[in-house]
Amino acid sequence: MKSRCLALLATLLFLGACVAPYTLVAPGLVPVGGLQVQAGSGWNDAPAHQRQYARSGSVAWTHDGLLLDRLVIIPGVPSGEPLLLARDKTAAMPVFKADMLPNEIEELVESSIVKFFGEGQAVVNTANLRPQRFGADAGIMFDLSATVTESPEYRGMVGAFIADDRLYVLYFLGAVPYYYDKHIGAAEAVIKSASL
Amino acid sequence: MTGAGRPLLCLCALLALPAAHGADEEIDHLIPPGYQPEEAADEKGLWMEFEEMERSLNESALLVREPELVNYVNGIVCKVAAEYCDDFRVYLVRNPGFNASMTATGMMQVWTGLLVRATSTDEIAAVVGHEIAHYTRLHSLQGFRNLKSKMAAATWFDIGFAVLTGVAAPVGQATAILGYLAFNREQETEADILGARLLAEAGYDPHAAYRVWYEILAEEEAAAVKSRQPGLFSQTHPNSAERAEYLKNFVIERYGPPYADGSADPALLEILNHHYYLLMEDQIDTNRFGRTEEILRRHAALGVEPGILYFFNGEMYRQRGAEGDSDLALDAYLKSAEQAVVPPETYKNLGYLYLKKKDRASALASFRQYLDAAPDATDRAMIEFYLEGDQ
Repeated sequence: MKSRCLALLATLLFLGACVAPYTLVAPGLVPVGGLQVQAGSGWNDAPAHQRQYARSGSVAWTHDGLLLDRLVIIPGVPSGEPLLLARDKTAAMPVFKADMLPNEIEELVESSIVKFFGEGQAVVNTANLRPQRFGADAGIMFDLSATVTESPEYRGMVGAFIADDRLYVLYFLGAVPYYYDKHIGAAEAVIKSASL
Repeated sequence: MTGAGRPLLCLCALLALPAAHGADEEIDHLIPPGYQPEEAADEKGLWMEFEEMERSLNESALLVREPELVNYVNGIVCKVAAEYCDDFRVYLVRNPGFNASMTATGMMQVWTGLLVRATSTDEIAAVVGHEIAHYTRLHSLQGFRNLKSKMAAATWFDIGFAVLTGVAAPVGQATAILGYLAFNREQETEADILGARLLAEAGYDPHAAYRVWYEILAEEEAAAVKSRQPGLFSQTHPNSAERAEYLKNFVIERYGPPYADGSADPALLEILNHHYYLLMEDQIDTNRFGRTEEILRRHAALGVEPGILYFFNGEMYRQRGAEGDSDLALDAYLKSAEQAVVPPETYKNLGYLYLKKKDRASALASFRQYLDAAPDATDRAMIEFYLEGDQ
């Protein structure tokens, strides 16, 4: 009996070691790709296997779990590439183009988030497009909402700018009403702190 | 579907045609209006599952609750359903895909993508008739029982397979699921034929039963990114070309040649004109511009309000961004701006296009027109940023 318990424990420890855990994001200046953001306390960096369809180099931070709140930072998307990886070959992902104007970046993010939740599974709307500086670079911010099948409703905020023909996007999604309200302040602080 | 598979499929479709037509005499409703499930535990259980699903759907934020849209769809369902009308609860769901579905309990879902693709109310009625036929033929229950009995036998097969080979693989269950899917294919054909009959009996144009499938084929042809290649699940439904062909043969033989010429449909036109943004914005978000272009072409033929239609053409060209699309978008927005009804966003996106073309004076003039037309625009700060940058 004792040896069986030890074997079970060893198996669990082995399996646990195979799965990368969430790691606490140290408060302060945090580099993400070529980007730097000022992180407050309490953010947890999600392991790669939890971040479906994420581009290499991007990160997803959360306070209470990715389903409830997520702050996604996507640094340096080159022209001709999508913000998120496609679910399959027929996904028709929108791609970034270096000459995009604010309205087009807003549409790119909106359509990408529709694809993230699954085409036909979500209605995503954006509003309040406004100018925003990110360090030395001029950029934009806007708000979004996502109504998703069999999932909480989300509200969110997006910051984005183009530098050297590459797109930098930071977006927050929080389940409404509680988790959005709880974390939007911290998320907005991170988004607005972004600079190269 | 590989190229080599196509001739075989066509041959099968030709062979299946007389069988489908000949079987029509037997295809009729299996249950009376107001049907309630038998006491059999499996049917009751199936109903309870669907009722739970319906409670969840009822709370979905993706349900369209606009009375005019809901009444329009409900009206079509009731007209086709005739004496079965009270058996159905219809839910209009925001989804840009082409689909409608029906459960054994009479819960019908119609996706908004069906409304934007139809070129007539008759075509919507054709899809509705097909779903009603599934209901009155008890197809959900038959499929459920078929799967259940096959799964039971298959489980015994799997146990025997495991004993003999030492490999515990659900080979039998996979085969049973394939059998269930094949059976479903027959149900689809039955629903097609009975649905076409219901359509005609309700006073709709029965030729819409196959026209709707030709519309689907035309959209697929126009698509830059095609639908998934048929795989395992292609067994559940006859393909669109096959359906169009056998339905066309059935309808022409039974009801004579087409008498409608696809002329104006005031009811559908009014629905589109009143709710165009709600219906089309999800389609634009799909980023599927070939399909969107085909849908816009149909709406032009239907006579949708030109100011709105030109605006959406501009959106499609601008977002597609292929060679020459910038000029096509500019032309579409300018035409939109000439119409009696002009969406304020026409001026805004004209402004952005002029910015791209380095025509700053025209851009700012358009931005001013936008703010005049939409003083409460939520992106006012962005537009003012450009206007103030000029001072």
